Amino acid sequence: MTFTQWFQSWGGEAFGWFLATTVLILMIALPLMLAVAMIIYADRKIWAAMALRRGPNVVGPLGLLQSFADGLKVMLQETIIPSAANRGLFLLAPIITFTVALIVWAVIPFGPGMVLADINVGLLYLLAASSLGVYGVIISGWASNSKYPFYSALRAAAQMVSYEVSIGFVLISVVLWADSFNLSKIVLEQQGHVLGFFNGFGFNPLLFPMAVVFLISALAETARAPFDLTEAESELVAGYQTEYSSMSFALFWLGEYANVILMCGLNAILFWGGWLPPVDWAPLYAVPGIIWFFSKILIFFFIFSWIKATVPRFRYDQLMRLGWKVFLPLSLIWVFLVSGYLMLTRYGA
Amino acid sequence: MSVIAHYIKTFTLWEFVKAHWLTLKYFFKPKATINYPYERNPLSPRFRGEHALRRYPNGEERCIACKLCEAVCPALAITIEAEPRDDGSRRTTRYDIDMTKCIYCGFCQEACPVDAIVEGPNLEFSTETREELLYDKAKLLANGDRWERAIAANIAADAPYR
Amino acid sequence: MPKVTVDGTEIEVPAGATVLQACELAGKEIPRFCYHERLSIAGNCRMCLVEVSPGPPKPQASCALPATEGQVIKTDSPMVKKAREGVMEFLLINHPLDCPICDQGGECDLQDQSVAYGKGASRYDENKRAVTEKYMGPIVKTAMTRCIQCTRCVRFAEEVAGVEEIGAIYRGENMQITSYLERAVSSELSGNVVDLCPVGALTSKPYAFIARPWELKKTPAIDVMDAVGTNIRLDSRGRQVLRALPRINEDVNEEWASDKTRHAVDGLIHRRLDRPYVRKGGKLVAVDWAEALKVVADAAGKAGKSVAAIAGDMVDCETMFAARQLVKSLGGTMFEGRQTGLAYDTSSLSAVNFNTGIANVENADVILLVGSDLRREAPLVNTRVQKAVRKKGAKVFAIGPETDLTYKAEFLGTNLGILGKLPKAVSDAFKAAERPVIIVGGGALRYEGAHGAALAFAKKFKLVRKDWNGFNVLHFAAARMGGLMLGYAYDGGIKALAAKKPKLAFFLGADEVDYSLFADTFKVYVGHHGDAGAHAADVILPGAAYSEKPGTYVNLEGRVQRGDRAVFAPGDAREDWSIFRALSDLTGKTLPFDSFDALRVEMAKAVPALGREGLADYGWDVPALPEKASADIADYPIKDFYLTNAICRASETMQRCSSELVKGEEWLEAAE
Repeated sequence: MTFTQWFQSWGGEAFGWFLATTVLILMIALPLMLAVAMIIYADRKIWAAMALRRGPNVVGPLGLLQSFADGLKVMLQETIIPSAANRGLFLLAPIITFTVALIVWAVIPFGPGMVLADINVGLLYLLAASSLGVYGVIISGWASNSKYPFYSALRAAAQMVSYEVSIGFVLISVVLWADSFNLSKIVLEQQGHVLGFFNGFGFNPLLFPMAVVFLISALAETARAPFDLTEAESELVAGYQTEYSSMSFALFWLGEYANVILMCGLNAILFWGGWLPPVDWAPLYAVPGIIWFFSKILIFFFIFSWIKATVPRFRYDQLMRLGWKVFLPLSLIWVFLVSGYLMLTRYGA
Repeated sequence: MSVIAHYIKTFTLWEFVKAHWLTLKYFFKPKATINYPYERNPLSPRFRGEHALRRYPNGEERCIACKLCEAVCPALAITIEAEPRDDGSRRTTRYDIDMTKCIYCGFCQEACPVDAIVEGPNLEFSTETREELLYDKAKLLANGDRWERAIAANIAADAPYR
Repeated sequence: MPKVTVDGTEIEVPAGATVLQACELAGKEIPRFCYHERLSIAGNCRMCLVEVSPGPPKPQASCALPATEGQVIKTDSPMVKKAREGVMEFLLINHPLDCPICDQGGECDLQDQSVAYGKGASRYDENKRAVTEKYMGPIVKTAMTRCIQCTRCVRFAEEVAGVEEIGAIYRGENMQITSYLERAVSSELSGNVVDLCPVGALTSKPYAFIARPWELKKTPAIDVMDAVGTNIRLDSRGRQVLRALPRINEDVNEEWASDKTRHAVDGLIHRRLDRPYVRKGGKLVAVDWAEALKVVADAAGKAGKSVAAIAGDMVDCETMFAARQLVKSLGGTMFEGRQTGLAYDTSSLSAVNFNTGIANVENADVILLVGSDLRREAPLVNTRVQKAVRKKGAKVFAIGPETDLTYKAEFLGTNLGILGKLPKAVSDAFKAAERPVIIVGGGALRYEGAHGAALAFAKKFKLVRKDWNGFNVLHFAAARMGGLMLGYAYDGGIKALAAKKPKLAFFLGADEVDYSLFADTFKVYVGHHGDAGAHAADVILPGAAYSEKPGTYVNLEGRVQRGDRAVFAPGDAREDWSIFRALSDLTGKTLPFDSFDALRVEMAKAVPALGREGLADYGWDVPALPEKASADIADYPIKDFYLTNAICRASETMQRCSSELVKGEEWLEAAE
């Protein structure tokens, strides 16, 4: 009896399903919020350590509660709405960012069968939903009626569109190989993918460059360093968040970090075997899949933070050049290579 | 050959890898910062912190309203008004320092002929309102009373170098 | 005209010049403490040492050495440098190092010169001398330990102020400057010793510890305490004038100022009118400008043409002009400035002017004072007479009650009839005089025929000759000459004006008026102090004091001078001219000036002489007036030198001076 069936057994067909889904959403969203809080803490700690600093260490043991203190602080602050701002859109923008960051999690498989909506076009849904995220940024930049947020919004729009193109081609090569848009199926396809032993497309020499391209594009897509041009403080104060304060500001933050975690998860799912252990060796399956998945997310998040602490911010033209003149041709060529290889091997000449 | 090496380096993101190796090494290095509120760096006797107006051991305030500190202050943070006290001595009726203007250059204590205005070792005097940073004479004298021992020790420690 | 060589440059100097003056003419600065241009030469500080050849092979005090033909003077030789350093070191032996608590700090000759010419270190380890403080009155604060015995103050008291009350006792290191009996120095000019003192031994008592020179904004202004028009510098900080110092003007005040000029400024912050008032139900109620102006405009509407303007003693010409234009626009013709009721003829301004000129009085050889207490009415004119007596041996005669003028004057009696039949000695003196002078004061002018008798006297003894005009009327209100030029004189004086019962009258800072004469008049007081005028007024419109507005003033010799604004008027008070401009909007006859400059242009159009700084030319065209005068001059108009106007009366310092120097004297006399 699945989770949903148990609810339906006493709540009736429709209401039971509704209740079960609501509970499941909460089971994803609430831990996610908690995870965001901790990941912000981790981000700061890692960054600090690489700069020979200590990072937050006062609130709670080892400073673990720092994010909660910050959250409490922003909740107690006043929401300031600039008098010249478009009030409705100004408030709508962070909500869009936050909501979009949450809904994509619906199709993420945390383990075998552990997925809220196991739809067969999961990857497509994911691509569509994360593209919506840019609206939050654009709207906030426009509604602020302030020049730096506006520049930032323009940058964000161009940046995200550019990298979504190459992300799209990378995904196509993965989809071609996995023969499915369903994320669970993509994960399962990776079992023993290389030499019947390594779990993950990333171990495939043909797909490894795509894994790297995806990782870098993910950074750009989430506007993380070194591609955080939308909030380049030396040029744009705080970018599209300049006029935001209090909870509206916090929503941006939560959404951003939820997106970062999502991208880490996608890296794990698409190239590194999702909930599967790294190698196809029976004893490793004793560890629950969700643990494998979370540890992969953490590793990728460490890489994200590591990059943030290491690489200086790109110039905007460099960013555009990289997206259009390197990643786009590269991924396009790889789609040819992958499809050609598959035509030769899997589908016959 | 070097062209090929260059391309290999470019496509393997070699410089990024090197950079990340460096930062990873730093990740495990001992931290350069200290655990501030609980650990503190030693302060030089010349440290220029919060201002204080000192008194003589008999309780008489040192300041004689010569206004040299006011004149030398590059931030125009000091405001002094003076008049003869009942005993005819020259004293301030007002000695204000706008701590939000002050740049802690220490010229005031250098200018002071009687070591009355000093910048003490206190560096933790943040306040919740701006108004609290507009120090008046009473506040400065109270600072002087509270920090006198540390200030006197600092002045004594620095005296051989003056 | 001897030729001397100063540091290699040959220069021709006037005969009788000293070596120091020769060096100055050559552009060399000679440090000095005791030497002062306006005082006799003492030669006791030794700071002005220079090397002179021919002469003994040692440095010589340049201030006391006459420049002679062929002298070779060196001011920058090693010998001079060493000599200066030595003198400086000696001077500093007994000078305390209390610059931080010394009010002279920042404007101290000793400080400046020890930086410029001193050695920077002392070899003196012994105890310094200490001297007890000496009491010198409410103006001068002493710290005699700081004294370097330059004796400038002693020479000033004797030579300029004419009171021999400061002197030196003991000798050598023990020499002390003292006021002998430790009583207040009874001079109207005692404040000048503070400026003269090159160190901080004599400092200003009211200004003690108040400010440092570098904090002060310095504004050139014209004094209004008397009619001399002393050129002053107002030193202000923020919105308060802290002190007034004289500026050098050889034609007016040289570099002196009376104590009233210097120290009445603390009255500028007390008893000020800082918002408009309107009398409602017998009481003055504070209102806003709009309401106050409306009340006045309504009154003007009811008054029709029966409008008058009465100027006080301290108003500037611009204020009087603006008021005059407003009153004229309403159809009024009544103007008066002589508050106390003087009614002398003003058909020719030359007949009421100080024609000789202040500076020229020095050159007079016979002087007759008629009802003029020169020392109280114009202390700086008195110093000129003092100088004439002292340096040129001028004879001074006086008609009026006996008073101490600081120099020897022969009092001929109090009856004005004496003018017509002078004792033979006096008339002989006048007949023989080359530059005779008569000075007619307010004490005489109030009597019938006095003016005419004085003019007749001038005619009889030919006081007006080529290049010399010896006929003088002495005013003692700063606004008087300007007022007369602007037509502030009503035929028959203020009593005649009051008899016309004007329905509306503007009182421009007029506090000496007998307000009972104006019982039925709607009284609008435009002024700055809550004094008699404000007390009697129906509407008070707060204006600016002399320190708070730029203004043109005409002094008693007809010299047009301009002062600037040092600070802004307190509270809601405005510059006076703008009040009349605002009123004219409400009465419907807008005055044709929107700015102060435009007002000045209008004024210069109406009275061209007021448009130019400098002496106004009144010519010499006196009317024929009744010459019969037989009244006794009962007293002089100024009873208390220190309390002559609203600013003085509000000044703590002036009150203290009055109680100590004027009333104190009376008490002392009563005790004897």
